Amino acid sequence: MSATDQAQPHARRIGPWFLKILSRIPWVRTITGRESELLRHYLWKYRRLVGLGLLSLVIVDVLEVLPPIFLKEAVDVVSESRATDYFLKLAGAYLLVSFLQGLCRYGWRMFLIRSSMFAGRDLREKYATHLFKMPASFFDKRRIGDLMSLATNDVEAVRMAMGAGLLTLADALFYFITVPIAMFWLSPKLTLLAFLPLPIVPWLVARNEREIHSRFEKVQESFGKISAMAQEGLGGVRVIKSFATEDRSLGRFRAAGEEFIRLNMRLARVQTAFGPTLDFTMSLGLVLLLFVGGESVIGNAVTLGTFVAFQRYIQKMVWPMAALGMAFSYYQRALASSRRLNEVLDLSTDVPETEAPQLPVVAESSAPQGRFKTSGGIELRGLSFRFPGTQAEVLREISLTIEPGERIAVVGAIGSGKSALLSLFPRLYPVERGMLLIDGIDVNHWKLSELRRQVGFVAQDVFLFSETITENVAYGIQDWVERSAQPVTIEEATQLASIHEDVLGLKGAYETRLGERGVNLSGGQKQRITIARAIAKQPPILILDDALSSVDVATEETILKNLRSRPGRNTEVIAAHRISTVKDADRILVLDQGEIRQQGTHQVLMGDRRGAYRRYYDQQRKREDFESFVENYGGSHGEEKRP
Amino acid sequence: MAKKNAPKRELREDRESSEFDEKEPQGVRPRELRRLIGYVVRHRGPFWGGMGLILVATAAALLEPRLLGMAIDDAIIPGDIQELRTIAAVFLLVECVRVSSTIAQGYCFARLGQAVMQDLRLAVFSHLQRLPVSVHDKNPAGRLVTRVTNDISALAEMFSAGFVSIIANGLTVLGISVWLFALDLKLAAVALGVFPFLIWTSIYFSARLRIAYRDARSKLSALNAFLAENIAGMRVVHLFNRERVHLKRFSRVNHSYTEAQEGSIRIFAVFQPTITLATGVAMAGVVWYGGGRAATGTLQLGVLVAFFSYVLSLFQPIREIADKWNLFLSGMASAERIFSVLDWPTETREDEIREPAEPIAGLKGKIVFENVWFAYSGEDWVLKNFSLVVEPGQRIGVVGHTGAGKTTLMSLLMRYYEPQKGRILLDGKDLRDYGRRSLRASIGMIQQDVFLFSGTIEENIRLWKTDGAGASAKASRDFPEFPILQKLLENPKELHERGVNLSTGERQMIAFARALEVDPAIWILDEATANVDSDSERQLERALATFSSGRTALLIAHRLATVQSADQILVLHRGELVERGKHGELMNLGGIYARMYDLQESGVVE
Repeated sequence: MSATDQAQPHARRIGPWFLKILSRIPWVRTITGRESELLRHYLWKYRRLVGLGLLSLVIVDVLEVLPPIFLKEAVDVVSESRATDYFLKLAGAYLLVSFLQGLCRYGWRMFLIRSSMFAGRDLREKYATHLFKMPASFFDKRRIGDLMSLATNDVEAVRMAMGAGLLTLADALFYFITVPIAMFWLSPKLTLLAFLPLPIVPWLVARNEREIHSRFEKVQESFGKISAMAQEGLGGVRVIKSFATEDRSLGRFRAAGEEFIRLNMRLARVQTAFGPTLDFTMSLGLVLLLFVGGESVIGNAVTLGTFVAFQRYIQKMVWPMAALGMAFSYYQRALASSRRLNEVLDLSTDVPETEAPQLPVVAESSAPQGRFKTSGGIELRGLSFRFPGTQAEVLREISLTIEPGERIAVVGAIGSGKSALLSLFPRLYPVERGMLLIDGIDVNHWKLSELRRQVGFVAQDVFLFSETITENVAYGIQDWVERSAQPVTIEEATQLASIHEDVLGLKGAYETRLGERGVNLSGGQKQRITIARAIAKQPPILILDDALSSVDVATEETILKNLRSRPGRNTEVIAAHRISTVKDADRILVLDQGEIRQQGTHQVLMGDRRGAYRRYYDQQRKREDFESFVENYGGSHGEEKRP
Repeated sequence: MAKKNAPKRELREDRESSEFDEKEPQGVRPRELRRLIGYVVRHRGPFWGGMGLILVATAAALLEPRLLGMAIDDAIIPGDIQELRTIAAVFLLVECVRVSSTIAQGYCFARLGQAVMQDLRLAVFSHLQRLPVSVHDKNPAGRLVTRVTNDISALAEMFSAGFVSIIANGLTVLGISVWLFALDLKLAAVALGVFPFLIWTSIYFSARLRIAYRDARSKLSALNAFLAENIAGMRVVHLFNRERVHLKRFSRVNHSYTEAQEGSIRIFAVFQPTITLATGVAMAGVVWYGGGRAATGTLQLGVLVAFFSYVLSLFQPIREIADKWNLFLSGMASAERIFSVLDWPTETREDEIREPAEPIAGLKGKIVFENVWFAYSGEDWVLKNFSLVVEPGQRIGVVGHTGAGKTTLMSLLMRYYEPQKGRILLDGKDLRDYGRRSLRASIGMIQQDVFLFSGTIEENIRLWKTDGAGASAKASRDFPEFPILQKLLENPKELHERGVNLSTGERQMIAFARALEVDPAIWILDEATANVDSDSERQLERALATFSSGRTALLIAHRLATVQSADQILVLHRGELVERGKHGELMNLGGIYARMYDLQESGVVE
């Protein structure tokens, strides 16, 4: 969507015809339009600080006019040989102005720059809040790096426009009012003269900014290439070594480096020339002043002091001219970033929660104190599913009833739709075709937080926070404490998940921080911690999505047995690849290409000699046999043959 | 590289989060500095040129206020218009000299900085390529890449912004001070009275700022880490209904970062006015004392006016130096990290990799392992007393369970690793007596994961060799039975994201063509056809049979069908050779091989 499309409705709302005309000017449109809404919002929110900051800035800029006048006075006094005690007064005035300026400079930093930091903080928070509400499909489509870049670079760009950007703009504008007035007051003729070379400055700055920006981007691109090449040189070091092509690989890297140098020097040409050129325009003003101003002094048109004061004023005018160009580029960058941020902030958050669930009263009695609990009955009616934004149906017309207290196992090859099916229970994705009912209520009608309280979900890929083990497991308990209900203890949960002993074996025991250097938990141990975390939540319905894959068979058996007696238990749905995980389930579903092919107990399914389950079972048996054969094979060959 | 020359450098304070390198400045160590200087003085031209130009530019800058003063004393007061014009012309000339020498100096140092960085980059890159494979196995590529890219950039920034600025500003401060004393001793003493205080203030505030920045930076990285972790684990957050709790935590981290930011702005808010005030004191002194003296005629008016300009332009450079000092320190920290990598021992010498590697001449390809013991670490033997004789031209199949030591065998043959005991002979000569590079150039190795470089397929096959026609091109012309290879070579396109759009079969064919390019005396296939579709597999096998006939070939395979026709099949188990013989013999033996074969035949295992 372009800027123009979004700006129109705003312009219309403003009303008066002249504003309509104004809004046709692109520059004005960005001020009133959607893109700068974030900026306007925070400027308004911190209007007091911003106002005070701008006030301080005005005072600094007004005072800035005075020192050259003091110098003028000093020079004039000398050349007219007036009383000498006048110098003490001048010195005193100079000091006073410096003091006041210092005070106000302190002021604008504390007000203006600080307010931009607050705005940055608020915007970051707004963005994070929004992220926490986004559905799973949002994160499936985006890379962490991109989302982080919004939180860092783009928020920063908006903040900079409000801090440094507003500062430079306001500073430049005030200067344009104050300094020329003072100059004009001293000598109108010299003023016009001194300003002669200045209009070129904003043009120079803006052009320079553009030029630097485009050259800088090329440098960045080339830098990216070098990085990628360095990455390749290391990632492919075995290939390079095995073909002994280090010489050519180095030559290739050297060539890339030389291109990088060339582009950098191209950038350096504008960069190094910019500052001195700016100074030069100022010096041109000084030369004109010398030529014409000096003559005026000789001709007694102006005093010598005025001549001296003009020197200073000319030097002061370069900055606001340059500042205009800078402020513009700050503003532009902020607009681009706002656009990117708005793309995310405009997306609607998680599945709507408008329909409040009618919680069945029957379950209330069996619930732990102060807490509603489902009976755990689940029903699927003609459920079909495709992942948001994709075409292929991964589940087709699935109908199934799961009785309260039942343990259902789901087996099937990779891509058979197991994970998709399981992810619908806690509504990671909304159900669109068919129905999924929990306790007779459509999951789409459940209040999301309440639904997720009822459904525990352990995914195959382990995610633990880089906190202590206690904190990670307590994650599931928190909710109970908040409701002042009786939670399970952390140790109960870890014992049920057969991880308690392992944790005690760690150096820091329960206080071990995960994700730190030197903390090496095996895949199975991590899986068991995530199971403990889910148990601690005491969900009536527990879902394990291949969550025992790295746990050895004996431990797995213990855990599965323990799960039957976990507190608050009702229903379990377990997806797995290993037969050992599923064989004791009350019912086993065999999923194939999104459809249920077989269902029944282990015994029943084994009875069907040509069924998929039986085939699956036989293959696994064979592999296990071979593995145990290989395992024992080493026994005859010994460790005794050590050198 | 940050943009330089922002006219009002005050604004820098508002950017602290992006300006600094992530690692803390540690201080300047003379050893690193000397080493760095060694890289710098190597480029004499731009170095001394830049230094000379700095001197010229500083001198011109010093001259200008004096010229304005002279205009007053010698032209305006006496009323000499001719003199005034001369002075104005001289002023213009001096300004031109100053501007052009400043630009030229900037250019010189940019050039110098780039040249130094290129030297360092190449040194690090070449060093990393010469490190033994064992070091690469232990260090994640990402961390090492940072040395080549970010650390060198930090160094470049220190060089172009830090070092040059410190020298130029130091010269300016020194020049102005000396010049002021030369103009008028007493007035200079009055003007520079605040100088010690100012230097102390700058040092004091810079140190405080450094701490404040460090604090803000570490808080920022905590914030980023928190957010990144939460995005990664958003599913868990949602499933446990923890959005609110985590938001509260984020809010805490966010606030604490903002507070740290405020801390730094507070310091700046005091720092800047202090300088304003000090400048005010110095100027007031000059007005009061200098004005008095000028009025009594003991001081020329022009000198007084020049003093105004000098004093006002004295303080910016001091701040600048204080500012850039931090940059300098972080650059040194990067230099330290770079040099520490350059100190790691390598397996080949720098000069060895400059020339193309020569394959061993007249290699027959007889390989002998004599009681080889090998462990990656300690006593965890991966190969135990392993012995083997491969006659020239033989095809050997190596099979075994995961972790049996198959790949290790190849790593030893390539001299990626050296055995702890025993020895390996090639054509009767100890492997260690051959140069690593010529040994590797004589062996064609194809691995399961084909690493593709960015660039074209042609570049990937020939590995950036530009001379000669290319053996694979010839092969595809002469042997039309390999359509995959032909198709690949006819396709001059750049590979997208390292060949994500290529099938495994195509990738393997590229790897095969790579090996064919060097026409090796020994072929090694390490699970080369593991995940390849059957059509590609057939083509690959036929290609191998065609081009490796009469050459020694070692085939590591998971799928036993691949090695069935080998002259000899070795079965490795836990680092030992447990079975050997032809397919039929091993089947009769009824051991691991026979069972593995049955298992695969029945389709249980791929």
